[in-house]
Amino acid sequence: MTAAVTTVTRASRRAAASGRPRRSVALYVSLGWLFLVLASAVLAPWLGFLDDPHRPLAGQPEEGPSWSHWFGTDQLGRDMFARSVWGSRLSLSIAGPAVGIGVVVGGVLGVVAGYFGKWIDLAVSSVVNVALALPALVFALFIVTMLGQSFWNVTIAVTILTIPAIARIARAQALRFAAREFVTVASVMGARWPRLLFREVLPNVVPALASIAFLAMGIVIIAEGSLSFIGVSVGSPSITWGNILAAGRGRLEESPHIALTTGGVMFATLMALNFVGDELLRRLDVRETRI
Amino acid sequence: MLRFIGTRMAQLAVVVLVVSLLFYWMLNLLPGNPCVAAFGGAATPEQIAECEQDRNLGDPVIVQWAKWGGDVLTGDFGKSYLTGRTFGEAITNALPRTLLLLAYSQFLALAAAIPLGLWSGYRQGSAGDKVITGGAFALLSAPVFVVGLVLILVFAVKLDWFDLGGYQPISEGLAAHFKVMFLPAVALAAGLLPIYLRLLRTDVIGTLQEDFVGTARAKGLPVRMVLLRHVLRPSSFTLLTIFGIQAAQAVNGAIVVEFLFDLDGVGSLLVSWVAAREFLLVQTLVALISAVFVTVTTVVDLVYSALDPRVRRR
Repeated sequence: MTAAVTTVTRASRRAAASGRPRRSVALYVSLGWLFLVLASAVLAPWLGFLDDPHRPLAGQPEEGPSWSHWFGTDQLGRDMFARSVWGSRLSLSIAGPAVGIGVVVGGVLGVVAGYFGKWIDLAVSSVVNVALALPALVFALFIVTMLGQSFWNVTIAVTILTIPAIARIARAQALRFAAREFVTVASVMGARWPRLLFREVLPNVVPALASIAFLAMGIVIIAEGSLSFIGVSVGSPSITWGNILAAGRGRLEESPHIALTTGGVMFATLMALNFVGDELLRRLDVRETRI
Repeated sequence: MLRFIGTRMAQLAVVVLVVSLLFYWMLNLLPGNPCVAAFGGAATPEQIAECEQDRNLGDPVIVQWAKWGGDVLTGDFGKSYLTGRTFGEAITNALPRTLLLLAYSQFLALAAAIPLGLWSGYRQGSAGDKVITGGAFALLSAPVFVVGLVLILVFAVKLDWFDLGGYQPISEGLAAHFKVMFLPAVALAAGLLPIYLRLLRTDVIGTLQEDFVGTARAKGLPVRMVLLRHVLRPSSFTLLTIFGIQAAQAVNGAIVVEFLFDLDGVGSLLVSWVAAREFLLVQTLVALISAVFVTVTTVVDLVYSALDPRVRRR
């Protein structure tokens, strides 16, 4: 055994021994944060202590964070904490349906392609590979301008982005499970394809899809954020994380708190989504995780 | 090998054709007359008639598409009816900026990812490895516009090390050029770095278990040489593949970064044309971008199979 290899084995044993509890803590912190963000986004209109995000002069204009305005105020004196929460409301209500549709459509395409193989697989895989090779934001940009900058059009555009990535992973999973003994056994026992597909293969693919959904959620939030950052998402006066940051960009010198607070919340949310997704994949032992 | 190249090239051509036809067809589904839109709603009937003649609007969609494709292939990329500026003029101004930005960011990302990835794979589980993988994980979760904003705030606004006032060509002096290009390149590289790093690290951990690594160590080669000569080489295939895939994704980042840093590159051009409803130009640009990307992916594939003959048999 060489020094290199011994280091590796000893190190990995140490990692396996010490890593588990700390990872669990991080997982619960992430889930807690996601719950907090989701709850505040859903409950925003009924939260009494939350300012009206559109009300000017809720405080002195361009003040840094304080007890009465946690995230400070912008140049019109609007409360940035309220704007950030309302921004999450829109960003999440686009990401939710987008990922839901993406997982169902992408999942079905991928599982069908992986299970049946042959020309179905060839057709699905080639479309997926082409779609993955193209710059996604260009397409989203194009779709949103063509159809108009409305809530549903943005949702459609970002949904289309998620489908090929999810389909690819679902296909890999279906391929993996279709070759397993229990499927062969069921087939030998006389089960037809609907039973094999829905009772044997699909239940094994679902956990992977559930964890992928967290990662896809992150991707969709970034995609919608990019669109609204460059001014091509749901139009004003709607508040999104992206357009808060775009506004903050112009005021970096005078009031950096505008960009930093919302940017920080967005970053923490994305990190939590990725962590939960990664951790689920790890615990469920899913390979082919790249999205 | 020639046969393999031929098949790949044929596939490539089909993909580009299908994508552009799809786009053309989608544009035609838009309500309203594209020629009325092209003038921003303030056109004389003669101008509209001329434009309609130009775009062959009387023909069926597939004929229009074929004529447009013929124009593009013969170098006639169209012009803005609103400003009179041609596609060629706009693109020759914007393209070098975007290409330089992409090149710098890829260089920075690889230059950082290779040593960090090798080291953290070699010292898997150590404190340093945990810091590196944790940092990579954080970077992977940070959207490019948040990274860019923080970079601007710290290094341009507070420390005043870099300039923000728009693009400076190399002819204006290297210092001026890099003062403008460095932060955007770092912002873009920040998204690529963790992807390269994680892949390389996983690869390194696998390669270190191989017998030839043991042999190299037993010969008495220093660790640094083993890592660079024996461990990095097999991973270069993985890096090359992901480089091809990431090239397309880097354009997403480039659009945002150019917007954030006022660079007026191809991404900004696309955004401004989209905003000005210059659909004819947008369509040509999107077709060209897709063509470039499908080509890059195919070329990477071909290089890959030239380096590793096993791929060809699949």
